[in-house]
Amino acid sequence: MSVISIAAKRGLSLKIIRPWCNLLTNSASSTRVTCLWSSTKVPEAATWEPVPESQLPPPVQVPADLVDKLERLALVDFRTKQGLDCLEKAIRFADQLHVVDTSGVEPMDSVLEDRALNLRGDAVVEGDCAEELLQLSKNTVEEYFVAPPGNIPLPTREERTAMLKHSEF
Amino acid sequence: MNKQMSMLCPKASRVIRRISTSSLRCDSQPQPRAKSAPQQLVGVVGLEVHAQINSNTKLFSGSSVRFSAPPNSLVSFFDASLPGTLPVLNKRCVEAAVMTGLALNCTINRKSLFDRKHYFYADLPSGYQITQQRQPIAVDGTLTYSLLGGTKRSQVIRKTVNIKQIQLEQDSGKSLHDDLRSQTLIDLNRAGVGLMELVMEPDMSCGEEAAAAVRELQLILQALGTCQGNMSEGQMRVDANVSVHKPGEPLGIRAEVKNINSVRCLARAIDYEIQRQIEVLQRGQTVQNETRAYDSKSGETIPMRDKEGLQDYRFMPEPNLPPLIVYEDNASLPTGIDACQAVVVHKIREGLPELPGVKRDRLVQTYGILPEHSFTLVNEDGLVEYFEAVMKVTKKEPRKVIGWVTNELLGHLKEKDMSVSHSLASLRGEPPPEAESTEQVCSQTPLSQAHWSGSQRGETPDVS
Repeated sequence: MSVISIAAKRGLSLKIIRPWCNLLTNSASSTRVTCLWSSTKVPEAATWEPVPESQLPPPVQVPADLVDKLERLALVDFRTKQGLDCLEKAIRFADQLHVVDTSGVEPMDSVLEDRALNLRGDAVVEGDCAEELLQLSKNTVEEYFVAPPGNIPLPTREERTAMLKHSEF
Repeated sequence: MNKQMSMLCPKASRVIRRISTSSLRCDSQPQPRAKSAPQQLVGVVGLEVHAQINSNTKLFSGSSVRFSAPPNSLVSFFDASLPGTLPVLNKRCVEAAVMTGLALNCTINRKSLFDRKHYFYADLPSGYQITQQRQPIAVDGTLTYSLLGGTKRSQVIRKTVNIKQIQLEQDSGKSLHDDLRSQTLIDLNRAGVGLMELVMEPDMSCGEEAAAAVRELQLILQALGTCQGNMSEGQMRVDANVSVHKPGEPLGIRAEVKNINSVRCLARAIDYEIQRQIEVLQRGQTVQNETRAYDSKSGETIPMRDKEGLQDYRFMPEPNLPPLIVYEDNASLPTGIDACQAVVVHKIREGLPELPGVKRDRLVQTYGILPEHSFTLVNEDGLVEYFEAVMKVTKKEPRKVIGWVTNELLGHLKEKDMSVSHSLASLRGEPPPEAESTEQVCSQTPLSQAHWSGSQRGETPDVS
């Protein structure tokens, strides 16, 4: 790829890069193109390869009980063929982590773990916006939010399957 | 006999440090004679205390903390869990937790982590509670409390409870159930308020011990100023985990008792639950691992509805909060750190006020009164100040003053349903004159004057 096209891809206007280009093309030594905006570490082409199937553990079959439990915990219906497929693909994707040797390495919670936790002083700066918040709810009674009485128990697996048959998803 | 074999407690984190012995039977609870078992079943009680931190603002947001306010007026966008809001930790709450940890002889974790505990309920708008499950701020402490035992209830018996951990967590909102219209009204004023959860090991064996421990904890927290400890206002909530077993055998299945609104209710609820479980086992049935609510009117515990077996809270690290670091002393502070961003344990330790246990010992030392009297003095709010104020002006022996205070003064106050701090205010209003006898001194105080003259005339005094 030519210098100019690379630069154009990177969004540099041609007016700026032309003097640079002259410098480069006129130089006697064969300096590589990558010297000026080469500070990026991102390679031009992908360098990773997918992990071969042989190295992965055997694929996990998600039993129906577990699907039911997951649905109950997350309140998300994914009982369809598509949903289960998606779940199994996601598990397969995560299985690639098994290839990495993590013995003796402390797990991290996030990449921002070494940041300092910001502590706030104990002064009142927020609140007093009941009206704004209540407007967000369809159902309010005298400045209270309205909810159904207690948790509505999730119907059993069979009942839910019957319900989902008639839904569009 | 095998029907009474208890099963291992399912919660793996309950480490048995001391097997509770029945050698010191609780005096208040007459143990029924179990006809069939040679060795009696004893109760095992572990408490979980949620203490609301006494701070101006909530744990992760800058909205105000107040007991009564118009519904949803103390709610910020973060408390309502509107998208795009993030938690910012309140320094005062961290200091309160460290102070409480130090007062209870805990090890303060230099680095503690925040997690999310997921469950669905209308008063938890975000669907999760930010808590510290993996690595809390303080662990491994002890709470020393005293019971009045012995034949005449005059002997002070010292006991300890081990504290597993103290963690910071968010409170949920309040739900008011409207059964008529089959709906629940949600008030989020309390959502997000900082709580200290104190998890105690199951070292206690009856309601009286639990009540004494909670009372002592109340006094400690009030002395520190980290929690006002008012159970009726919900500033301190206690849940009891009760099970029964034969001493030496593994712990039985536990039931959790909730909805306890006072220290007295706590003792009654625990005793009822122990009794109920003993009867269940004697009938040959098994105790269910369930949550029960205490009904103060009937004095019974009833199973709570809405329980779908064991909850899976799906704990995960809180991604929006890096680890909380507290520093031991000024020397260990990293360079360039702002003073208002650092919590220094050494400074907090130096600033600890006089704890109730220390105060009791000091009173015994200074005035030579009996331990059980200093127990009564410290137990009543404001009585120590009253006593010391009287002692300043009287030439009488402390024991005589104690006698008057405990018998006559407290008796009068209970009759008129007034608190000691009330009368202390009126005592401070006038400087007491020089007096010879205790009765003279005490009769000089406006309250006592009014009392004694009023009681003669048979009318209620007017003390402003």
